[in-house]
Amino acid sequence: MTFRLVTPLLLAAALPLGGCAISINDPGAPSPSVARAAAATLAIRFEGIETPTGQIMLSVFDNAAAHDQNGAPIRVAAVPVAGTSALASFEGLAPGDYAVKAFHDVDGDGKMGTNPFGMPLEPYAFSNDAKAQGGPPRWEAARFPVAAGANTIRINIK
Amino acid sequence: MLDRRELLRRGMLAAGAAAMPSVVAAQVKPAADWTLGLTDVLADIAPRPLTRLHGRAPALAGTLYRNGPARFRRGASSVSHWFDGDGLVRAWRIEEGSASLAARFVDTPKRRLEERLGAIVQPGFGTPARPGSELGGPDDANAANTHVIAAGGQLLALWEAGSPFALDPDTLATRGPVTFRPDLAQMPFLAHPRIEPSGRIWNIGSGGDHAFVWRLSPTGQFEAGQTIRLPMASYMHDFTATRRHLVILCQPWVQTSPNVPYLRSLTWQPERGSRVLVIDKDDLSIRREYELPPLMFFHLGDAWEEADGTIRFDGCFHKDPAFPVLGAAALVEGRREHSEMPALTLVTLRPDGRADLAAAGITAEFPRAAPEIAGLPRSQTAFVGDYSNDRPFARAVGIWDWDKGSADRFDFGPLHLVEEFVPAGDHLIGTTLNLAAGASELHIFDARRVADGPVASWRSDVALPLSFHGSWMA
Repeated sequence: MTFRLVTPLLLAAALPLGGCAISINDPGAPSPSVARAAAATLAIRFEGIETPTGQIMLSVFDNAAAHDQNGAPIRVAAVPVAGTSALASFEGLAPGDYAVKAFHDVDGDGKMGTNPFGMPLEPYAFSNDAKAQGGPPRWEAARFPVAAGANTIRINIK
Repeated sequence: MLDRRELLRRGMLAAGAAAMPSVVAAQVKPAADWTLGLTDVLADIAPRPLTRLHGRAPALAGTLYRNGPARFRRGASSVSHWFDGDGLVRAWRIEEGSASLAARFVDTPKRRLEERLGAIVQPGFGTPARPGSELGGPDDANAANTHVIAAGGQLLALWEAGSPFALDPDTLATRGPVTFRPDLAQMPFLAHPRIEPSGRIWNIGSGGDHAFVWRLSPTGQFEAGQTIRLPMASYMHDFTATRRHLVILCQPWVQTSPNVPYLRSLTWQPERGSRVLVIDKDDLSIRREYELPPLMFFHLGDAWEEADGTIRFDGCFHKDPAFPVLGAAALVEGRREHSEMPALTLVTLRPDGRADLAAAGITAEFPRAAPEIAGLPRSQTAFVGDYSNDRPFARAVGIWDWDKGSADRFDFGPLHLVEEFVPAGDHLIGTTLNLAAGASELHIFDARRVADGPVASWRSDVALPLSFHGSWMA
């Protein structure tokens, strides 16, 4: 099924986030050897949460192709919501550029809620607070640098 | 250069526009008088009395609410299509023999964003997304500009690919998008719901080769909803209904790609013909289909059913989508690329499965029938018409009678752009844009003697761009 006006692109927005839910327990965790070799940590603080329930589910990408073409994230996580914020942390990242796609799984069912035509209905957000434009923002709009050592970014999600 | 047929087949609006020597034409010709019908309204219209031109108001008290696009340009940017301007809801009130006008824009996320940026950025029916656009869901692009109905003590300003926007019927202030049930947010809701005489509201929302069927109570509360399969992924602006059946006409102007804007996702495939899907209101799984020749349409009249099961409805049919693809896009730039020549046509769906078309022989658009008999047998259809090749809009109003095979009509002449007229008891009420006076006017006809001309007319002190649809609320 395809949908009129903006739906086809928004559907693409929903899919990688849903895929994050499906793959939440597998390939994301770094192997110990990778963790030792890399030198960066990344803390992502989600703010502005309006409904203090459920979890934030997120995918982290490290290249344009995977980010823009529905490819696999390098890391995924699901972190609980505490009040109006949530915190996700990653260790063992190689310094470089990254981008994040996230949604607030308000009802805690592990997937993006949609209407019958597949439109996302739970809050979602992207790194740099990049705006959706009929689909997720492009890598160029969402990418941010991660340097060796500790890094922190904030994402408004509401 | 591609010919028109090829442009339509490929759905190449942009290529079509680029092929036209529009810039040269605009430089050497003064603006045509009809371009007043696509003028920009820059701010809400505060309530103001109208000047009576002639006649006296019949015993009629109420408000004619109307909706239509009224902001097409911001800074150096403009929408690329007539259908993409911001919705302006107008209230033409008649009370104790005098009349007034007020109008307010629907306060949509699209309008807020574009006001802030001073530029048209949101995508629409025929307008591409531009830098700065923010599109988290269909309602971010919702222009709320096509129709306005009343339900449950509030107005609903309707678009077609997203939610209705609720308005206060007295102040016209926007209350916000209506979510009928939390999981049905951001669903499409056509601008042409079919309202039974009881007030129950049926509508569809179109999504490719599926549609969502809405059933609302007379107060606008959600009663039921269900996704159904369509014969093809047709562009869907309107459908119709009898007392017992939903009647969904699928034209061979079909979505063949996910292109944005929506217009560029559509391809004209006349070889597929048209289909009519008839569904039982009581059980949406009970359905039958009919075949018709290829036709393109925006608007249908109410349908009715005869004792032997024959279903009839009328529609305003074009031979191809040249008007929406080429004509309606050029209007915003002040060019008349293609005149609209809609043919009023009666569709008959017979119990043996045959279906046929019978043309009235007149051009007509905006077909309306008395709401008291919606879905019941009727012979009359109010219309605006006399479309011609010298201007892109209607100049006459009339009532076509399918039994008599003739129209009782009144020609306002070449200096009025005639908007939709709606039945109001024994009267027809509607508006025109008087090009000579540079002002919008309100007219009431005796529906039994349209040719006699309006029984009363009033003139406003503003020229509002042409509106699309509206409702008379007594």
